Amino acid sequence: MIGFLHPWALAGLAAAAIPLLLHLLARREPPTVVFPAVRYLITTTREHQRRLKLQHLLLLLFRTALIVALVLSAAGPTLPRRGVAGHAPSALVLVVDNSPSSGVVVAGTSRLSQIQAAARQVLARATPDDALWLLAADGVPRRGDRQALLDQVGTLPLSSRRLDLGAALGLAGEILAGEARPGEIALLTDLQASAVSPAELHVPLVVGRPDGPPPPNVGIARLETGPQPWSADGGRLTVSLVGDSGAGTPVTARLGTRPPRQALARVGGGAVLVMPGVPPGWWDADAELDPDELRLDDRRVGVVRVAAVARVNWDSASRFVAAACEVLESNRRIARGSEVTLGRLARGSSIVQPPEDPAALGALNRALASRGVTWRYGSPLIEPATTDSGALLGRVRVFRRYQLQTAQSGRTGVLATVNGAPWLVRSADVVLLGSRLEPAWTDLPVSAGFMPFMDALVNRLARGEVSLADGAPGDPVALPDLVSEVRQGERDWHVEGGGVFRPGEPGAYYLVAGDDTVGAITANIDPRESLLAPATDAQARRLWKDARLVSLDEVADAVFSGAARGDLRGPLLWLALVLALAETALASLWRRQAR
Amino acid sequence: MDWKILGRNDRLYVTQFEEETNLRAMVVCDASRSMAWTGSPETVLPKLAYAQRLIAALSLVLLRQRDATGLITFDDDVRTVLPPRARLSHWRQLLATLGALEAGMGTAAEPALRRVVNQLRRRGLVVFVSDLLLDRDLALKALRFLRHRGHQVLVLHLMDPGEVLLGGPVEARFEDPETRAAVVLRPRDWAAPYRDTVRAVVREWKLACRRHGIAYHRVTTDTPYGVVLREALAPSSRTA
Repeated sequence: MIGFLHPWALAGLAAAAIPLLLHLLARREPPTVVFPAVRYLITTTREHQRRLKLQHLLLLLFRTALIVALVLSAAGPTLPRRGVAGHAPSALVLVVDNSPSSGVVVAGTSRLSQIQAAARQVLARATPDDALWLLAADGVPRRGDRQALLDQVGTLPLSSRRLDLGAALGLAGEILAGEARPGEIALLTDLQASAVSPAELHVPLVVGRPDGPPPPNVGIARLETGPQPWSADGGRLTVSLVGDSGAGTPVTARLGTRPPRQALARVGGGAVLVMPGVPPGWWDADAELDPDELRLDDRRVGVVRVAAVARVNWDSASRFVAAACEVLESNRRIARGSEVTLGRLARGSSIVQPPEDPAALGALNRALASRGVTWRYGSPLIEPATTDSGALLGRVRVFRRYQLQTAQSGRTGVLATVNGAPWLVRSADVVLLGSRLEPAWTDLPVSAGFMPFMDALVNRLARGEVSLADGAPGDPVALPDLVSEVRQGERDWHVEGGGVFRPGEPGAYYLVAGDDTVGAITANIDPRESLLAPATDAQARRLWKDARLVSLDEVADAVFSGAARGDLRGPLLWLALVLALAETALASLWRRQAR
Repeated sequence: MDWKILGRNDRLYVTQFEEETNLRAMVVCDASRSMAWTGSPETVLPKLAYAQRLIAALSLVLLRQRDATGLITFDDDVRTVLPPRARLSHWRQLLATLGALEAGMGTAAEPALRRVVNQLRRRGLVVFVSDLLLDRDLALKALRFLRHRGHQVLVLHLMDPGEVLLGGPVEARFEDPETRAAVVLRPRDWAAPYRDTVRAVVREWKLACRRHGIAYHRVTTDTPYGVVLREALAPSSRTA
């Protein structure tokens, strides 16, 4: 079926009637001329009428066909043609999977090199009339001509970001939706089963994937540093493995510059490594496996905060708080002292619960104001609600609470929320709880998360520290309000508290507020990247309707021949040229003969 | 040689003498509507006016040779018949007749040519002046008849330059002044075929006349009269 790049230009076909109209207009009643030798004219016309009519008809046909050919070529006609070198102007989104899994080395060559070679072959088939985009794991579509994209493909690095193939195809489809030219997507990937997700496609898709199976692989899925902060006595690192091998794999873990510890771990299980004590401070921790074909998942980083446990003064009358503190004390997570006061406002760091007696609220608010705390308790709310899930707290039911109000604009210091409203806030060295830590107010004291919450509350939040966050490179990580800077080694980024930060590469990023390091983000590759098993062609076709799957070596042949259409503009322009020349030659020849 | 003088005094003498024979000539002039046309009124005479002047000159030449000269004019019928006379004063009558001549309607040459037979009892000269836009077969039949009666026949085929080369507006309706037949065409497209047709017509007339011993001259109306008379009255020309 013939298609057109600029169908509106077909309106110009009306111009094809111009020669006919001129001919008809010229047929108006001519002037009468008296001429005695009309009998000669009649004899002449009788003998030459057919020839002249044929000449006129031919010229009319040539002129009409010339206009039609020009108009059609302006409309950009295309015709489906398979297996030919040329193709009509197309819009192509080339999705190159440079996710961590493509770094696997097979037969001495990285998968990414094979994908890049296939991408170069595809781009070599492109013409200057094609609209080209390059989409890689960073999710940023790059528009460019063939040479520009060839340069970019050649320098495309192995990304530490995961590429969700369904999402990438969806984005490619959105890019092509605004294109008048026939669109097509070429996906060059290792077709990792864990990266395949559904996508609704409205343009042809050619998937280039490797022929052979991937090598077996083992990677580190998680590196857990346990409750923070560690005491000076040391702590435990838990390493979980993911991959194909069931054999024991040696794992090496380090904490700062201390000598490494080793243990054997199996896929699906974990190894616990007891790390020696280190001085107080923030320490880089990492776990590493012996090198295999995929190096990027053989190392994982973490951050350990080492500090003396908080010395807490708690109210024994508050049954659940007291019980939790006694457990923490027995586990040496806290000690008795006056560094942090739990339950009421006191000198030094305080974790304040709302009073049982509402009549005492006014005095408490006045005391908070006199301490320079910008938050105060507002009106009580008795309605079931749930805390919003966050790094500190999961979803916990809240039955009673006080509204927490701030005198400042914005929401500086909010640590946890209920239905978007502040529930746990901090101002200076005072932490305010919206509800009392009792079952009548909230489920938290009777939930499994109560002990870690209390640990974090007294050891970190009351000291002005924030939680450790983990994320994959490129993923947005919400920053606490007070953070003004993010540091990684010698590099640093000035950030706005309350915004998001996207770590670019795997590693540990420290969050700095003023002169204090108040938290850290660890960025590691997505553990799903360690699962190299590819999706089957049937699975891919089920998720991506009408997808054409070929090997990476054949993808260049498949891309433009599968969905491309032959461009008819060239032949039409040649035809127009031939018609114009023929018309000129015949008209001048016949005119010369007529003289 | 004068043999009588040789016999008397044995001397050789050559005797020279002139003998004059009186020719009887009839000029037959076409005065149809088509003869009144000219393609360029400012520069070229109509065919009839050209014919009038040409016949006047021709008759003067003949009368000065003491040849009896007559005139017959016709359009769709015989209009005037002026019997041949040898007196020079007869030329004034000829001029008067020619001067009064006006273009008529159609063309019927055959009756006029047959009237010549009545006027020329002895062998004589018949000069037929016409644009030959007539029935060729009938005209040739009459001319052959005259030739059969022993007359010398001279056909002067008058053509306007505008009839030789087709011109005019981009497209025109060409109408015959006699028959009102018309044809619409673009002269630019038809000039060459028309030129070929005219050539063919002239060639056919020439061949037909030669075949029957009739002298034929095509005369365009921008040709000086002297040239025409010199060619037409040359002895080689008059004997086809």
